[in-house]
Amino acid sequence: MLSALDGLSQSLDAYLVLSGVLFAIGGFGFLARRNAISMLMSIELMLNAVNLSIIAFGAFSTSLNVDASVIALIVMAAAAAEATVGLAIVIAIFRNRKTPLVDEYDAMRQ
Amino acid sequence: MTLPDTIPFLGFGWDDLLFMGLAAVMIGAALLVVTMRDIIRCGLAMIVCFAALAGLYVLAGATVVAAAQVLVYIGAISVLILFAIMLTQTKAGPNALVFQTQALPAAIAAAVLALLIGITVVATDWPATGTRIATSATALATELFSNYILAFEVVSVLLLAAVIGGVFLAKRERGGNE
Repeated sequence: MLSALDGLSQSLDAYLVLSGVLFAIGGFGFLARRNAISMLMSIELMLNAVNLSIIAFGAFSTSLNVDASVIALIVMAAAAAEATVGLAIVIAIFRNRKTPLVDEYDAMRQ
Repeated sequence: MTLPDTIPFLGFGWDDLLFMGLAAVMIGAALLVVTMRDIIRCGLAMIVCFAALAGLYVLAGATVVAAAQVLVYIGAISVLILFAIMLTQTKAGPNALVFQTQALPAAIAAAVLALLIGITVVATDWPATGTRIATSATALATELFSNYILAFEVVSVLLLAAVIGGVFLAKRERGGNE
């Protein structure tokens, strides 16, 4: 039974399945959490899942090897920019509404 | 003293053991991030998740990206998020309800998504090499500053714009100008 686990780190499938599971966890957190900062953390998890799949494709393909690392670095910079602006928006909303819970932001509904 | 090629008694290589350990830590920490009640602990679990991911990058041969992961995610983004958590904590403490009302459909949708991705990945015949290829830092630097120089410059402008925008958005309004 354990021999099925042999060579797991040498297979592209293992990395991609792992990245898919991480993406699904992040998607669940984004849909289910009430706190705006928890939702931002879930977005970071999803971005990291995408980065893991990019790196995995690069690690198992000679033509993509270097490009994958470059793309992953650029995605990381974009994620940093996204986190900065997202958290600034959350803090600005918190200052007005005094709550970080997204289901109490109902100004557009009234 | 040198290690044997495969682990005694278990029968798979050390790389595979590392991969399984890092994957388990990463998935466990990610589950803690989305399910724990205390949001500060969610932030700390996120740091663990990012650290395990950096280990996976090293295992996949992308050492420069792993270093950037530690610097950017663990060093910068996590600290930013922890500060934002501390700025938005209400006096009432952690909230009674962690999840929205649609948490159960969201869980089902996420499980279906993971299953679909898994089936698709396993069923597809990827044109992949059998072994991992390490990325050399020299080749990465050459590529980044020759073919990808435009993307590099655009990203630097994007970061500048994000910093200015973040400061502008989070700045406290002075005087009643509304």
